[in-house]
Amino acid sequence: MGYFAGIDLGSLCTKVVILDMGKKIKSYTILRSGAVYKGVAETALNEALSKAGLEFKDLRYIVSTGYGRTRVPFAQKEVTEISCHARGANYFCPEVRTVIDIGGQDSKVIHVDDQGRPVRFVMNDKCAAGTGRFLEVMAGALGVDLDEMSELSFQAQELIEVSSMCTVFAESEVISLFAGGYKKQEIAAAVYRSIARRITGLVGQLGLKEKVAMTGGVAKSKGMVRALEEKLGITLIIAEEPQIAGALGAALIAREKDVSSA
Amino acid sequence: MVQYKPNRLETTKLIGPMVDKHWAELRTAKERGEKVAWCSGPMFIFPYAMGMKCHFMAGYAAYCAGRGAGDQVLEIAEAEGDLIDSCSYHKLHMGMAAAVKKGIPIKEEVMLPLPDLMITGRLCPEMSHYAEGMYRRMNIRVAGVDTPPPAREEDIPAFEEFCERQIREDLIPTLEEVCGKPFDYDKLSEMLAILKKTASLRNECWEYTKHRPSPWTLWDYGVSIAPVFYLMGKPETIPYYEKLKAELAYRVENNIGAISPEEKYRIYWDGWLPWGFLGKFSRKFTNLGMVPIVGRYPWEFFPHPETIEPEPDPVKTFVKQVYSNGGLARQNLPNLALPQIHQWIDEYKIDGLVMFSSKTCRMWNLGHPDVINAVEKKNGIPGVVIEGDMVDSRMISDAQIDTRLGALMEMMEARKSRRA
Amino acid sequence: MADQLNKCIQITGDPYGYLAEWKKQNNKKIICCYPMHVPEELVHAAGMLPVVAWRSNEPVTLGHSHIPPYNCGLTRSFIDDLLKDKLNFFDGVVIYRMCLQAQGLPFIIGQNVNLPYLEYLSLPAIYPGLPTRDFLIKELERFKASLEEFSGRKITAEALNQSIAVYNKNRQLLSKIYEIRRQKPGAVKARELMAIVQSSMLMPKEENNQLLEELISELEKREPASQPKIRVIVYGGLCQTPHLDILDLIEELGMEVVDDDLYVGSRYFAGDVQITEKPVEALAERYLAHTPPCPTKGDYATDWTDYIIEMADKNQAQGIISLLIKFCPPHLCYYPDIKNKLAERGIPEVLIEVEHEVISLGQARTRLQTFAEIIGGV
Repeated sequence: MGYFAGIDLGSLCTKVVILDMGKKIKSYTILRSGAVYKGVAETALNEALSKAGLEFKDLRYIVSTGYGRTRVPFAQKEVTEISCHARGANYFCPEVRTVIDIGGQDSKVIHVDDQGRPVRFVMNDKCAAGTGRFLEVMAGALGVDLDEMSELSFQAQELIEVSSMCTVFAESEVISLFAGGYKKQEIAAAVYRSIARRITGLVGQLGLKEKVAMTGGVAKSKGMVRALEEKLGITLIIAEEPQIAGALGAALIAREKDVSSA
Repeated sequence: MVQYKPNRLETTKLIGPMVDKHWAELRTAKERGEKVAWCSGPMFIFPYAMGMKCHFMAGYAAYCAGRGAGDQVLEIAEAEGDLIDSCSYHKLHMGMAAAVKKGIPIKEEVMLPLPDLMITGRLCPEMSHYAEGMYRRMNIRVAGVDTPPPAREEDIPAFEEFCERQIREDLIPTLEEVCGKPFDYDKLSEMLAILKKTASLRNECWEYTKHRPSPWTLWDYGVSIAPVFYLMGKPETIPYYEKLKAELAYRVENNIGAISPEEKYRIYWDGWLPWGFLGKFSRKFTNLGMVPIVGRYPWEFFPHPETIEPEPDPVKTFVKQVYSNGGLARQNLPNLALPQIHQWIDEYKIDGLVMFSSKTCRMWNLGHPDVINAVEKKNGIPGVVIEGDMVDSRMISDAQIDTRLGALMEMMEARKSRRA
Repeated sequence: MADQLNKCIQITGDPYGYLAEWKKQNNKKIICCYPMHVPEELVHAAGMLPVVAWRSNEPVTLGHSHIPPYNCGLTRSFIDDLLKDKLNFFDGVVIYRMCLQAQGLPFIIGQNVNLPYLEYLSLPAIYPGLPTRDFLIKELERFKASLEEFSGRKITAEALNQSIAVYNKNRQLLSKIYEIRRQKPGAVKARELMAIVQSSMLMPKEENNQLLEELISELEKREPASQPKIRVIVYGGLCQTPHLDILDLIEELGMEVVDDDLYVGSRYFAGDVQITEKPVEALAERYLAHTPPCPTKGDYATDWTDYIIEMADKNQAQGIISLLIKFCPPHLCYYPDIKNKLAERGIPEVLIEVEHEVISLGQARTRLQTFAEIIGGV
């Protein structure tokens, strides 16, 4: 009996998934990253191990991914989050051919094959617009938390636009709109639509191939999902816990690597 | 707090239907079996002479942005793969062509038929990219006329010869082949005769700008450029400018300015006119008592119509309008434009400069800070750079525009009080 | 490390020091030729040293008072260097109307820097037909006369042909080095090759020819990489060097650059000039050539993507890396067509946007690594 771990060190959160030989998820953890990557990988792994009732020595292979992936000395291999999200999405739905991942500080669209391998990808990694960070900043500008902003967006009556591409400009735009008398509901909806536009542009560069899955923490935002589904004209496949897709994919690859080396 | 308001001209309301008609005729050209050309730079007069309907690049951007479809079309271009930093004019055309070819729904008014011929009037080295793109994607024939802008007076004779030869040896034979008939030099002469009249009337209108208060602004002139550019040669352009001149004359006689209650600051505008945001900018300027009245780009369209000789050689006279007698190529580089700018500032009593720096177009913006410095030294007036774009609303920040216009105002006020 | 290669790395590591020293030792004028197609042979035949402008590796400060940040790194860093008086070994600068940014430089330079010689060429788009050819030759003749006036030396056809012969030799030697890399992938690192080509851009060609000949013997002794890696082509990089870390990263992530279509690379030495009775016309012919296809030349009919694919086929490359200099419109406007055509052909491609300012390599690492994972599996 052996177990595999995938560690996804993102900019906002660190995720760990522990998988068994039969590819079943034994446990998982999501922790805020903070600035110190090395410490948090260990902490998160220990938490996941403890939830699974396992010890470090029970792990046969560990794969790290995410921005902090090169700073996990106890991982046997580091793999990009694109490959990992592709595997993770495929796990829940092997018919998925397009994966949209809106992460903390970047967003990506990936074409995947039936084995969950990435075929092509596009990324927006140059700036915060169109990412989880953008949502955080806008929620802050409205004086609400992310869940509240999502709820508010469903109550919007009018259609308004937040047009700016730059997060800083958009923030000042949101503040102006609010000061100008527009309601939080309308502004919230406009914020999600603004990201949806950005993501649609990314999707367009690769082409939309169904089925389409959404992974990453932002997939938990109902407001974001609705705006995206409306703009793309499709229903998105979202796992129960989409935030662990990367770590799950890493764990699956850990298992692949271990099996193939045996 | 003084409340300023614009005094809108009556005549400029007439331009809307003329422009709409031009684009409608272009949109439906194929249905009537007419040939269509797409053109950048001033070469559209040649397909016009052949009875072709012709789209003109910057004009389309103004039209598309003005109809509120700019962002939508840009999105399509980016979905096709264009990166955000590319020239907005280029992206707009790639997006529109993709929309037409793939049946992607966009506003009907801004759809255009795919052309039979792309004509690159290469005043800007990047103007050729859109013809190249159309050739690669849609396999559309290209005729290129390279019109390098002169950095020195001595360049001009060789550049004129080059331009003329390209027109005679390449463009005209290509048009003859595409249209299946000989080139109509008489029609070209006719159009130039009308342009001469219209532009002469326009020059008289420019004279009124010297009056304080100016009876009109660049926002007004911006919508009136079409008759001396892509609507050139149409007989209705003459009565348009006659009416405009009469209205401006009336204002000057009665001391009616472009804004009420007073014209506080007279501004020189550099760079593109912000076609997608004329309303926004004109409101901001008006609210501060600012009127933009002179600009290197809007004033480059045939400033010397008295030198147009429609006969006997219309090609030669047109080439001279681009170069030695003209503004199009000549005002393009700051090298030759700067002396003109110094002169305008004195002649038109300019108080300050606004240099509009488009983030996706580097045609004007490399010279901006240095022109401001040179003008400060020679004419003693201040200037600011405002960032934006011709079409892409994502590149416009209200906060930045307000801050910089505010700074300009403070600098102009400081100078006024020093002089007092 | 081998002697001659070390020399290349030293010179390109500090071109300022190298040229300042060279100026002291030699009683010759140095003329800076802005990339990419100024016919240096004319400057050489006038008895002056032509040097190709380079992108500095320092952040732009003064330059931003004259050029907005949304312009390419080379333009901004070049003005920055001029204003900081770091280029005072140049007696003159020659720029041509390659793109809008190059077009705007002479005015800024003229307003701010006291240069004994500032020349601006209007090399045209390479449209078919005689008007273009005749105008180009006239413009080159004008350039020749201007160089003669400044240098005080008449450029005879014979002298020009001699310079052309020296330059042809240099191109052949660089070509030979590229062939060595093709035959022995991994024997020469990508950043070493870039230093070799750039050394030619900075040194007198005669000296560089000698250096290259010795370098070839050094490189021929090298062995190819023992482990087979993923074979890739890097193209793009118009006008300027990228941060060399990017090249290192490509190799670190399990890829081998087997050939390139970069300016500080194969483009610089592509295409010899014919030795004829009319050398100015021969120089014009090199500019008018459709190969390698240049997105700055208005050449709508020649497909750059086909050229890249051909290079990939010739070298059995498994993927293509697009090195796109940020804010370079000629490449920006072409890029979607390249990307889409490669995708249609099923050729893996990745976009790496290159900036002047020191950027976090993390993003480039992720993209390149994913690219490698797609081609070679995890």
